[in-house]
Formats: sequence, C-alpha cells, structure tokens
Amino acid sequence: MTTVVSAKPRSAASRLREVLASAPLTIPLLMVVVGLAIAVPAFRTGGNIENILYAASILVIPGLAMTLCITMGEFDLSIGSTLTLTGAVACTLIRDGYPSALALLAALLVGAIVGIGNGLIITKLGVTPFIATLATLVIVRGIAQAYTGGQNVQVADPFLKFFAGGRVLGVPFPIVLAIVVIAIFLWVTYRTRFGRWVAAVGSNRDAARLSGLPVDRIRITVYVLIGLAGAVWGIIISSQLQRGSAILGVGFELQAITIVVIGGTSLLGGRASIIGTVLGALLIVTIQNGLNLLNVPPAFQDISVGLLLVGALAIQAIRRRVPVEALDDKR
Amino acid sequence: MTSADVQKRTPLTALAERARGFHLGTFWDRWGITAVLAILVIAAIVIQPGVDRGAFLNILNITSILKEASYLGIVACAMTFAVINGTFDLSVGGQLALTSIVSLLAFGIGGSGLAIAAAIFTGIACGLVNSLLVTAMRVPPFVATLGMLFVFRGIGTLLTADGPAKLPYADFGSVFGQIGKISFGGIPLVFVIMVAFFLVGFVILRRTGLGRQVIAFGSSPAAAKFSGISAVKIRFFVFVFLGLSVGIAALTYVTRIGTADGAAQDGFELRVITAAVLGGASLQGGKGSLVGTFSAVMLVTVLNDLFRDLQVDSAWQRIILGCVLVVALAIDGLRTKFPGFSVFRRVTALRDQRVARAG
Repeated sequence: MTTVVSAKPRSAASRLREVLASAPLTIPLLMVVVGLAIAVPAFRTGGNIENILYAASILVIPGLAMTLCITMGEFDLSIGSTLTLTGAVACTLIRDGYPSALALLAALLVGAIVGIGNGLIITKLGVTPFIATLATLVIVRGIAQAYTGGQNVQVADPFLKFFAGGRVLGVPFPIVLAIVVIAIFLWVTYRTRFGRWVAAVGSNRDAARLSGLPVDRIRITVYVLIGLAGAVWGIIISSQLQRGSAILGVGFELQAITIVVIGGTSLLGGRASIIGTVLGALLIVTIQNGLNLLNVPPAFQDISVGLLLVGALAIQAIRRRVPVEALDDKR
Repeated sequence: MTSADVQKRTPLTALAERARGFHLGTFWDRWGITAVLAILVIAAIVIQPGVDRGAFLNILNITSILKEASYLGIVACAMTFAVINGTFDLSVGGQLALTSIVSLLAFGIGGSGLAIAAAIFTGIACGLVNSLLVTAMRVPPFVATLGMLFVFRGIGTLLTADGPAKLPYADFGSVFGQIGKISFGGIPLVFVIMVAFFLVGFVILRRTGLGRQVIAFGSSPAAAKFSGISAVKIRFFVFVFLGLSVGIAALTYVTRIGTADGAAQDGFELRVITAAVLGGASLQGGKGSLVGTFSAVMLVTVLNDLFRDLQVDSAWQRIILGCVLVVALAIDGLRTKFPGFSVFRRVTALRDQRVARAG
C-alpha cells in the first residue's frame, strides 16, 4: 500500500471522491436517513437508531457470506430454508432437554451439512448453482416441515435468549457479533490467500483451474460458509422469537442477495465489496424501519426490496453497457 | 462459452449413432420421460391406491388429473421456450397469483368478458415488465425475475388485503365460471386449451423462423448474433410469451379453484421448471422438446395425484419433488460435464487399448 508514493499531495476532494467510488451507497443511505429524520420525529430517537443497527447486524452476517458467493459469480437461494431448519433443530433439541450449547452446535452442524450438500451437487454433478439451490431451498424447507411436524416449537431458554437479547458492555450481542464478523470477513476477503482464490474463481473459473487452484474445494468451502452463516441467522432469529417453526424465513434469501447486490458486488464475479454489503444492510433496514414508522402495509416491504434489487442491477448494467446475451447464468 | 459448446453433438454423429443400432442415451433423450410416465401409470392401475376413494382409472379421477395438469402445462410449454433460449423465469408463480386476482376482481366489475380480457392483459403486462427489465435495463434474467416474483406477490397481497378474491358461488354458471367446469365426455375444456397451446407452441418452435431463432440463440448466443439474430428481440418474445401463457393458465386455474390471494400457488415456478427440465430441456440452452415437457407435466401431475391417494405428507411431497429436480438436473449436468460418457464406450476403449498393446 505505502510503497507507491503519489507525485503530488492529493486534495481532500479527490480523496472524498475515491471513498465514495468504493462505497457508492453512502449518498443514498445519507439521503434516506436525513429524509426520514426530518419527516418522522419517531425516527430520531436513540432507541429507534439502536433498533436499526440491531436489525442490520442480524442481516449483515448472512449477507457477508453471500458476498463471497456472488464474488465467485454464483448464488445460494437455499439460505432462507437453512435458517428455518437450523432454528427448528436448535429449538427442538433444547425443548427435548439437551444442553443449550450442544443444541447450538448441532444447528451449526446442520447448516454446514446443507452447505456441503449444495457444494457437492453444484461442483460434482455440474448443476447450475441458481437452480440447484432453488431445489435445495424446497427440499430443506420440506425437511424442516417434516422435522417439526408443522408445529411451532416454543422454548424459554436463557442461554439461547442471550444471542438476541443479551448485552455486552451495554451493546446488544448481535451488534457485537456483527462487528467481529465484519472484521473477519474484511481480513479474509482482502488479506488472505483464500479471499484472492475466491475472486480468481469468480473472474475466470477456467483460468483459475488451469493455474492449479483447487476450484471445487474453494466453491464447496464458500457454500459451507453460507450454510454456517444461515445457521447463525437461524439461531439469532429463533432466539429473538424463542420459537422454531417451518414457516419462518420465507423469502429471506432475497434480502441477503439484495444487500450484496445493491452494495456494489458485481454479479459477474471477481469483485467483492464488504463495506458495500454493510451499507446495503443498513440501507434496507432503514427503509423498512421508515416504512414501518409511516404505517405502510407489510406487503410494500417485499415490493420495495424487490424493486431495490432490480433497480440497483439496472443502474449497474446500464453504466457498464452489458450486451443481453452476456447476462445468462451459464457457467 | 465453455468447451461444452464445442463438443455438442453434430447431426452427423447423431446419424452415425442411430446407424449403430440401439443407443440408450439417444433412447432416453427421445422417449425416456414418456417411458417413465407409462410405467408409472401402469403401476398406478395395478396397485390402485386409495381404494376407498375409487380406483385410479375412475373417470372422475382422470378428469381431475387432466384439469390439474392444464395450468401447469400451459406455463411449462412457454417455460420450455425460455429454457431452450438459455434462460428461465422465476416470477411465474407471482404472475399466476396476480393475474388470477386481477381477473377475479375484474369479474366482479364487468362480468365474464372483462375477466377473460383482464387475465390475458395482466399476464402480458407482467411478461412485458420482465422483458423490458431484461432487454432495456439489462438486468440478468434470473435476478430480475426473482425480484419481480416478490413484487408481483406483494401487489397481489395488497389487492387482497381484505381477504382473498373470490368467485361468488352464484356465478359459477357464467361463461367465465364454466371455463374450468365444462368437460366433453371426461375430457375437460381446460385440457383441450392446454393441448391447443402445446400445438401452437410446437408449430412456432419447429416450423417458423422465430422458433429456429429461439433455438439458435440458446445453443450459441455469439454465433446467433453474428448471423444477425437480435438478442433483444428474441428475449423480448420469450418473456412476453411466458406472460401470455400465464394469462391463459390463470383462466384455467382460477375458474376451477374460484379463489386466489397473494400467496396462491407458492413454489409454482419450481414445478414449472422441473417439468421443463424433466422433459429434456437443458439449462445450458439450445436443447429441449415440447413432447418431453408434455410427458413431464403429466408425470408430475400423476405423481401428485398418487401422493394424495397414498396420503403422503405435504412436507415429503416437497422433498421428493426437489429431489426429482436435482436428479433431472444432475443427468443434464453430468452429460454436459462429461460429454459422450458411457460405460459401453469405456469398455470398448479398454479392449481396443489391450488389442493395440498385444498387436
């Protein structure tokens, strides 16, 4: 970083422009925040701002795992179901009297198994990731439904409760966890060999394979990471509700994908933007919070997430002038 | 553009294979899914599940299977076009829910004529939105349609905020209500509509320049572009055609069920794509058959009927459907990954090697 010394001292304006270019969501986020702060008095309270940070922290963990996957030029739609199944497993084991820590480990293990399954189907059987994970989305939700028998699994466990309601030095636990995970992902993505491998597979898989990278192993590892992130998501959500159920988490995969895409990670692969994903999570959560405060019906939230996703992609693509035939998921 | 494109079978080698006699791969490509369907139907007749409900061959049961197949089949036919073209549409479930709701609401306002027109126009409008996103805004089709799935369902939920849209019981006798009810000697009208749609689809795909362009673009976008085929026009056609098919499918669906809300037909897109892929369409593009899709639609519907008769839990139905899709995709994926792989050929290659070494 410091080896290249620029010839002339850069102005503050050019430095600001550089920061904005690396995180294009800063301005829309500021606009939404300022707009809501002026229009809705309830938005400005400290409690509400903590609510937003709290919700964004829960969303950002699966978003970061999804960032790695999209950097690889692939998708995982099954994460919404992984959340459901792992939450159901954790709650059922706790209800049946197993130690809480063991139940959480089992949930993580189930998440990892879903990830390995996805990875093997995609790499060894040569199935397009988008459709393969669409199928596992349905299969895993079916398993969750069969496992819970369609019932809500109600629990009251202080250890589980800590994951959503606990505080570390006065800060809610999910926020602390999210900060740690963001730091880890920044390090892994930009400073380790694995991060560079993922980007290499995303920019040109054939070239990566020919230069000797263990491409299949890298891809499976990323799907396992997503499975684990889905398990963490499931644990936090069932901790929040103190409940496991097969109907939780429907459509959550859209949120995880949307925050990555609006954050500026390219769908074509090869370029990750961790900070973009964090800002994306903040933007979506702020918009949903604002819609809630304005008493807009919940159906509008789905619509707004869908439109944000499509709109962000349209802006990306128009700027880059991609031809229509280059848009297919055909690799 | 992977090496798979280069290694695709040319007509010449296909001819050579036919000349060699029976070839399992070729047979599977052409008749596999029909054979599976035939075996399943024979098994169902022999086992006769759900004796208390009447046998499988009961005329009422057959009529209900044909009705159930129709709306799935109409959309699966158009989806086959999309898959052959190298793309797919995840928003068909949302389109079907929204179109059904709009046509029911329109029936309340202006009767049968308006309801039918509303269904067709809403379907085409949904297709137009998708195709504009893909062709004008350059959003990748799979993500565009994923986003629109939630948008369409959200709009449907907003429209039915005061409870699901319903066809009043007294109006089942109207022209609109009769679409899903009439049958000619056990063959329901909706099934006739589906067969007609497949015939039109077949003619477009195999007998017109437009169909050839769809196939050519799917098998090699670059080559198609250099031969002057407009990618924008082809994609526009594919998504609008899907929208039209959903409009017609919604007519055959909602006139039978009589009610719809934003969550109607959850997971429909998966069943449609499963039918197209089971029917032999390859997600790599350029390959697919409407006859195969037709058989696959009947197969999926008969399977569903058997599940109901055998009282299989809905959770297990999902798991099995998902696994069927994965297996169908894996067959396609493995063939793309290892083209020309066959145990027979490997054995002959080993023998040739030995002979060469000995000689």
